[in-house]
Amino acid sequence: MSVEGTIGPVPRGGTWAAVRHAVCGSRAARVCAGVIALFVAAALYGEAVYCWHRWRDQTPSYQRVHLDERYLPPSVLRRSRPTAESNTGTDQRPMGVRRLLYRPLGTDNLGRDVLQRLIQGARIAFLVGIITATIAIPIGTALGCLAGYFGGRVDDGIMWLNSTIAAIPGLLLVLAVAMVVGKGLTGVYLGIGLTTWVGLCRIVRAEVLKQREQGYVLAAKVLGYGSFRILFRHILPNVAHLALVTFSLRFPAAIGTEVFLSFLGIGAQGEPSWGVMLSNARLRLWQGAWWELTAVTLAIVLVVLAFNLLGDRLRDALDPRVS
Amino acid sequence: MTLSGRWMGLAIRPVHDGRRQGDETGRFAAAAILLPLMVLSASGHARAAERSLPAGVEQVYRAETSRIRGFDPVRVGDVTSIHAISKVYETLLQYAYLDRPYRVEPLLAEALPDVSPDGLEYLFRIRRGIFFQDDPCFAGGRGRELTADDFVYSIKRVADQKNASGGYWAFRGRIVGLDAFREASASVAPTDYDSPVEGLKATDRYCLRIRLTRPYSQLPFVLAMHYAAAVPREAVEYYGADFINHPVGTGPFILKSWRRNYRMEYVRNPKWRETGRQDAYPSSGEAADATFGLLADAGRPVPFIDRIVEYVISDGSTQWLMFLAGELDVSGVSPDNWDAVFTADGRLNEALAKRGVRVHAMPQLNTYYVGFNMDDPVVGGNRALRQALTCAFDAEQWVRFHRGRVVRAVGPIPPGVSGYDPAATGAFPFDLERARERLQEAGYPGGRDPSTGRRLELTLELGAADASTRETAELLGAFFDRIGVALRPSYNNRPAFFSKLEQRRAQMFLLNWVADYPDPQNFLQLFYSPNASPGPNRTNYRDPEYDRLYEAAETLPNGPERLELCRTMVRMVMEDCPWIFLHHPVSYGLSHRRISNYKPHDFPYGMIKYVRVDERPAPVPQGGLRGPDSGD
Repeated sequence: MSVEGTIGPVPRGGTWAAVRHAVCGSRAARVCAGVIALFVAAALYGEAVYCWHRWRDQTPSYQRVHLDERYLPPSVLRRSRPTAESNTGTDQRPMGVRRLLYRPLGTDNLGRDVLQRLIQGARIAFLVGIITATIAIPIGTALGCLAGYFGGRVDDGIMWLNSTIAAIPGLLLVLAVAMVVGKGLTGVYLGIGLTTWVGLCRIVRAEVLKQREQGYVLAAKVLGYGSFRILFRHILPNVAHLALVTFSLRFPAAIGTEVFLSFLGIGAQGEPSWGVMLSNARLRLWQGAWWELTAVTLAIVLVVLAFNLLGDRLRDALDPRVS
Repeated sequence: MTLSGRWMGLAIRPVHDGRRQGDETGRFAAAAILLPLMVLSASGHARAAERSLPAGVEQVYRAETSRIRGFDPVRVGDVTSIHAISKVYETLLQYAYLDRPYRVEPLLAEALPDVSPDGLEYLFRIRRGIFFQDDPCFAGGRGRELTADDFVYSIKRVADQKNASGGYWAFRGRIVGLDAFREASASVAPTDYDSPVEGLKATDRYCLRIRLTRPYSQLPFVLAMHYAAAVPREAVEYYGADFINHPVGTGPFILKSWRRNYRMEYVRNPKWRETGRQDAYPSSGEAADATFGLLADAGRPVPFIDRIVEYVISDGSTQWLMFLAGELDVSGVSPDNWDAVFTADGRLNEALAKRGVRVHAMPQLNTYYVGFNMDDPVVGGNRALRQALTCAFDAEQWVRFHRGRVVRAVGPIPPGVSGYDPAATGAFPFDLERARERLQEAGYPGGRDPSTGRRLELTLELGAADASTRETAELLGAFFDRIGVALRPSYNNRPAFFSKLEQRRAQMFLLNWVADYPDPQNFLQLFYSPNASPGPNRTNYRDPEYDRLYEAAETLPNGPERLELCRTMVRMVMEDCPWIFLHHPVSYGLSHRRISNYKPHDFPYGMIKYVRVDERPAPVPQGGLRGPDSGD
């Protein structure tokens, strides 16, 4: 017999029903979900392109330099030009032919396609969002559950760690972790993942404190279940929605942090992260090359806005403190 | 790694890999030459005919400066301070203003020194009738005559440990007895400047004898550095610790007022007129100098300027606006105002050209290169691979990418230094077919590494991670990609980068070298094996034959024989390819119509005395041009 199915406060499927309602309930939320779906598709496509070139052991098309095509502005239909590369045999594009959607978002300082790099940026952004959440959410949830359920010394110890980490300015800590691990995305993953679990931990602890006094927990105790079974099989499903809300809000924050770190040159190395693109494009603005900066900024704004709006809707629907 | 130039007392300073590769910056600026690139607008030479200045109009030169550390030649070594010092103090020798390649000529010496046949003894005769400026430190406040003892004293000051001089590297182990004097000066007791140094002797009032421990043909360059400037002992003793704020020199200008971090003013040294001292503008130079009107003042007494006013302006846009308003006579060209100065095709903007603004471009004595670590198992032992990568470097595209702000390098020695060969094309110019052949010979057919079956992957270490460094690395990667070799950039901060070089852990690296003095030896030492890491030979290049030639050249005096040895060494390096030679940066400067006799120089210290300002009685009301410095 499953206890949580019968005596828990949230009925089976309740969380998912609420999620569905939050996403589909309003037009704004549907638009946000659509934007996110679009970016997910772009990121998946980007990953496919990345893996394909890796497997073929080639320089990916978004990294190829065409000095003859520097600073092409965005255009729907353009005439492609002969390039120096085409003489050397690495590029076999037909010359002088009108091409639809050829470099539609223009090219950068080294003649690389902004759209392709933007898609790779989406891939990196999503990787960062997902991996950091995968690191931070289990840590925060597990520690929060332990602290809330057991209380006493366990609680003291965990909350001490929590307060200590929370007291250190977040970005500095991320920078420090990234420096220790080394430049590159691994540093970013660990830096963000290992420092952002504190908020979730605190919320989960508070919720578990509340839940452990509930009747269904008492019932489980009466039935003689062990503490860990009660905690992770009965209480955890009832606080899991907090993780979902946190994920939707942490995700855009992590993307923002990654852009920031890459902008400073600590994040992505040799890959077109949005931060790297911003940092490059910033130097070209005075030459009138506005499109790279605009495209990246719009992409960041869109994805962060969509996640935040949707996250707010989810919180309205799921967070007991709000509802 | 950025670059810069320095325009006669103002402007942009590079972070470079100077001597000891960036560990000590600012000792020597390196900058450039030369006329092929020096674009002068027509208005400049037309005026050469009417040289006479309107009587009674004070000629004022206005420039920008940065905060300076002070005027003690021995204690101070940053570029801005050297500019300030060299207006007031003078050295035995100086760089000839117009001649290229650079050479030194006598300044306070009567002539170039007599050198003994073994190259160990230098005899300088000091000019008679040179006086220090009037100052309360002298008896009666009247400046006394300069003697050979002043140089003995000044060089001892460089050696005195209590002065913690940054210039001792140039003297260490060179002059007989000077190192012992330095040892003795470490004690707490006041340094005894009367204790004799065997290699440094005033044999009479106007005769200075320097004895060396071994031949040192760069000594004349060292004696042209501000560290060796003549300082009067009276001033050092009179002002004590405050000497750094009270310059007392023999130079063309004296410091009139100094409001720290705001404004400095120099005026013509009245002692020159009083004692009848006459220094003349050079009467010979490069072939093109006459065309550009640079020889119109040949033989006339210098300085031409009566007063120099310098402002400390740290904000780039303020500097630029003040230049446009005519309140500054010269300006550098930074990336920020690049498009305000030049049109898309690299010509001077029409509005500026109409106002008679002139552009001065000069390739700097600075060589950028990609170094191969010769201790690395992949690139070190494989000469054909290095040659293949050199052949794959597309110099033309590289220059285009840098928008003409660099000139391509074909060897380690930049233009302006003897040993540079303008006709050389390099042993392995850009040629993809040849690169692929070499690569096959190197054991990587089509770029495939037989041991992995994948592309050969090489790591390029970089000392910064800013956008322009990243793009530079990506462009290099694109060049190598054409022959199927993958380049993985590894971005470091500066300390991490240099520690990798020192521990010989870098496979390939991007670096530059700024000349300390315009001598080929300064570049050729970068391949001499005893200089290997942590020394300046960062590639750890080793070749006994090269070392033999280098040692032979070190003991030879400047001349055709030494030059021939240098050329041979350059050819050896080109053939062996421990470096891919990238470029020499070009720095740009602007000057207003009223400035003439301006020629960019790599060692421009003190050269302001040759520059002329044509201040007219009624200033042309043009864009807010001010009258003779009325406003301050």
